[in-house]
Amino acid sequence: MAGLSDLDRWIEQLKRCEPLQESEVKVLCQHAQDLLVEEGNVQRVDSPVTICGDIHGQFYDLMELFKVGGDCPQTNYLFLGDFVDRGFYSVETFLLLLALKVRYPDRITLIRGNHESRQITQVYGFYDECLRKFGSVNVWRYCTDIFDYLSLAAVIDNKVFCVHGGLSPAINTLDQIRTIDRKQEVPHDGAMCDLLWSDPEEIDGWGLSPRGAGYLFGGDICSQFNQANKIDFIARAHQLVMDGYKCMFNNGLVTVWSAPNYCYRCGNVAAILELDESLTKSFKVFEAAPQEARGVQAKRPVPDYFL
Amino acid sequence: MASPAGDGNLYPIAILIDELKNEDVAVRLNSIKRVTTIARALGEERTRKELIPFLNDCGDDEDEVLLAMAEELGDFVQYVGGPAHGHEVLVPLETLATVEETVVRDRAVESLCKVVAELPEASVTDYFSPLIKRLSAGEWFTARVSACGLFAAAYAKAKVQVKSELRSTFEQLCHDETPMVRRAAAQNMGKFVESVETAYASSDLFPLFNRLVADDQDSVRLLAVEACGPFARQLSEDDIMQMLLPVVKRVAQDKSWRVRYNVADQLCQLVKALPVEVTRVELVPLFVSLLNDSEAEVRVAASGKVSQFSKKLESATIGKHIIPCMKELAQDSSQYVRASLASVVMEIAPLLGKQGTIEHLVPTFLTLLKDIYPEVRLNVISKLDQVNQVIGIDLLAQSLLPAIEELSEDKHWRVRLAIIQHIPLLAGQLGADFFQDKLGTQCLKWLEDQVASIREAATTTLMKIAQEFGPDWARDNLVPRVLDMVQSRHYLYRMTILTAIAQLAVVVSADVVHSTMLPAVIDCAKDRVPNVKFSVARQLERLVQESVIDRAAVTSVVKPCLQELCEDSDVDVRFFAGQALVAVEATLAG
Repeated sequence: MAGLSDLDRWIEQLKRCEPLQESEVKVLCQHAQDLLVEEGNVQRVDSPVTICGDIHGQFYDLMELFKVGGDCPQTNYLFLGDFVDRGFYSVETFLLLLALKVRYPDRITLIRGNHESRQITQVYGFYDECLRKFGSVNVWRYCTDIFDYLSLAAVIDNKVFCVHGGLSPAINTLDQIRTIDRKQEVPHDGAMCDLLWSDPEEIDGWGLSPRGAGYLFGGDICSQFNQANKIDFIARAHQLVMDGYKCMFNNGLVTVWSAPNYCYRCGNVAAILELDESLTKSFKVFEAAPQEARGVQAKRPVPDYFL
Repeated sequence: MASPAGDGNLYPIAILIDELKNEDVAVRLNSIKRVTTIARALGEERTRKELIPFLNDCGDDEDEVLLAMAEELGDFVQYVGGPAHGHEVLVPLETLATVEETVVRDRAVESLCKVVAELPEASVTDYFSPLIKRLSAGEWFTARVSACGLFAAAYAKAKVQVKSELRSTFEQLCHDETPMVRRAAAQNMGKFVESVETAYASSDLFPLFNRLVADDQDSVRLLAVEACGPFARQLSEDDIMQMLLPVVKRVAQDKSWRVRYNVADQLCQLVKALPVEVTRVELVPLFVSLLNDSEAEVRVAASGKVSQFSKKLESATIGKHIIPCMKELAQDSSQYVRASLASVVMEIAPLLGKQGTIEHLVPTFLTLLKDIYPEVRLNVISKLDQVNQVIGIDLLAQSLLPAIEELSEDKHWRVRLAIIQHIPLLAGQLGADFFQDKLGTQCLKWLEDQVASIREAATTTLMKIAQEFGPDWARDNLVPRVLDMVQSRHYLYRMTILTAIAQLAVVVSADVVHSTMLPAVIDCAKDRVPNVKFSVARQLERLVQESVIDRAAVTSVVKPCLQELCEDSDVDVRFFAGQALVAVEATLAG
């Protein structure tokens, strides 16, 4: 078992972008599992809290996020998933967030994104990165096992519903989400899949998603859901928005995106959403970390899956 | 692992040697990285007779393994029996110096240079010099490229006759028909020049250099150019004037921009070797032409060298020739040129003196300070202290303050951060009244900046300002305004204020701390946000440790507050309060 001093040391080490030993990852994940198994499918979170969208292994941009939003535990954070894949540092990014979660369970909440999945990470980089950095897939296995324990959604002060993707035709109330057996690989369809895959769209009702999983949902669906559940608005991530955030459906929904210059080439800015004690919204927009704040390895060639 | 060879240790060594032959690359690599352990265990003689020949046979392994081997062999002389046997290590390194992969060859050359530095003169004659000859005559260009890197190191250790052979072998490589080899020769020219005697630098090497800077291939020329500096250090002033200067004039106008790109740096090295009149007459025009080059990359390189180049010039020359160029570069179409200029522009100020700076430099400086590109503005700000020293307070106030006020609300937070970090320095220059008038309010505004790093930096800046202007000033001007902000609506701002209070407490008098600041901190322990409560615990811990609170107050006020926080419903509040309480008890006990 690891004590607080081990955790503090791991956090310091990970903040320097140095991965842990395989054996340390194993211990960390065991702790995380004990903790996450107790959390609900819809984890209750208190304001004030800062909501963050996709990170995708862009470790140095996550450091930039903390510079802008404040360090954990001083600032409370809720991350909406997609910690891994695509960027160069999925391992360090996820392990840092997980170590913070274990060290300060009440200060940081992590929920599951569609990339927190065995299948997706084998295609988009996390699997390869683990193999390259550790010489075996054990770390990938420990991490993907933890993915199964992550909450599917969160609700802040019973007023803000937070989810990675969006809504599902199979879900009308938060209680229906609470009945899902979440401890499994993300299925190809059904409520659990939709929560992690769906997107809002300016349509009426439901539409087919071009992603091949989840649905498109319109403003009417959003406002029905908000009304039925006495929700002020939905905060979600999942889609690149060039300005870092985008409000839709009369502020009934907001997309937050926290990976600046996504894939190191999209040219977008990123944002986080600070909710204060009275749930007043304030968006903090930030850019990618400058070159000198990045490690030397940032110049490594672009992995195949970008091409 | 470090224990000397004994029978008991042979078994693991046998495994390591076995692993050198393993099918798995990772295993072989691991074993090679511990080859010094194997050598130590085998002893010097068996290392020479068995291990070295074995390593020499491994030449067709994976590049990764060869690279590790090349690196390890650089420190191997001690394991084969010291310098007298050092030449044994040359054999496998020579093989590695001929392989196809550049990285491996470069590493082998590096290790060969390390080894030769340890060899006695006789071994250089008997083994190293023949090795250079063999490589130089290698059929495949890789060997000849590697040879080029060995001359400087070998020359330093060689006797007279061998030296002359080395010079003629190097000449042959400079004439090689393969551009890759000429490139390597050009690249190593500088090092070699600095290791040969002045007479030979002039008689033997200069003609070769002259040929390489006129090579057909620009990739050869641009590397050869880098030997200008070493030649300037080696040659007599006459030789520089007669021989080197014409070459420099030629390369400064080379048709390839990549060659011209490398010239600015060399000019700076020439300036050091030449009297100032020569610089003025001969080098200034060349440098000005680079500053006005048609290719932006060349202007970037040259403008970054402006201050270095001007160091030995009289202010009149700078004013007449360099300043007009700088004015134009400050408006250059390329942001990289402007950023490069911005990072050195103020280094010119001490060279011009106060009047010259005001007349010539400040306008350029202000132009750059308003640049649309944040990196340009940042580069200027990072040199603010230099302008302070030269132009003094009045002018600073007049011309720079408006720009600084504008930048203090810059939309890029790193620009704001740079300004904040320079504020204490400015405060010292401005004086208390002037500061309060112009920048005081802004400093407090930063405590509620959108960006956490700015808020944090602002607390440190306030503390430094308080130190600058003294405890009474801080009590009257800072403390009340900071304490007012403790009721902020946003928990992150309230936590910033707690940090600011703790920072200021060190500076102001104990009386102020106990009467106003400590009660304000204690009040926050009732905050409804746990984060604020554990901040209270952390800041109290800090205040007690820095001994700004007297024992009576620690016992009657701080301790009860922390004890209450130890019973809080939030786990982090309990943790930090507990930690603080331990520190408090330790202070009270000690």
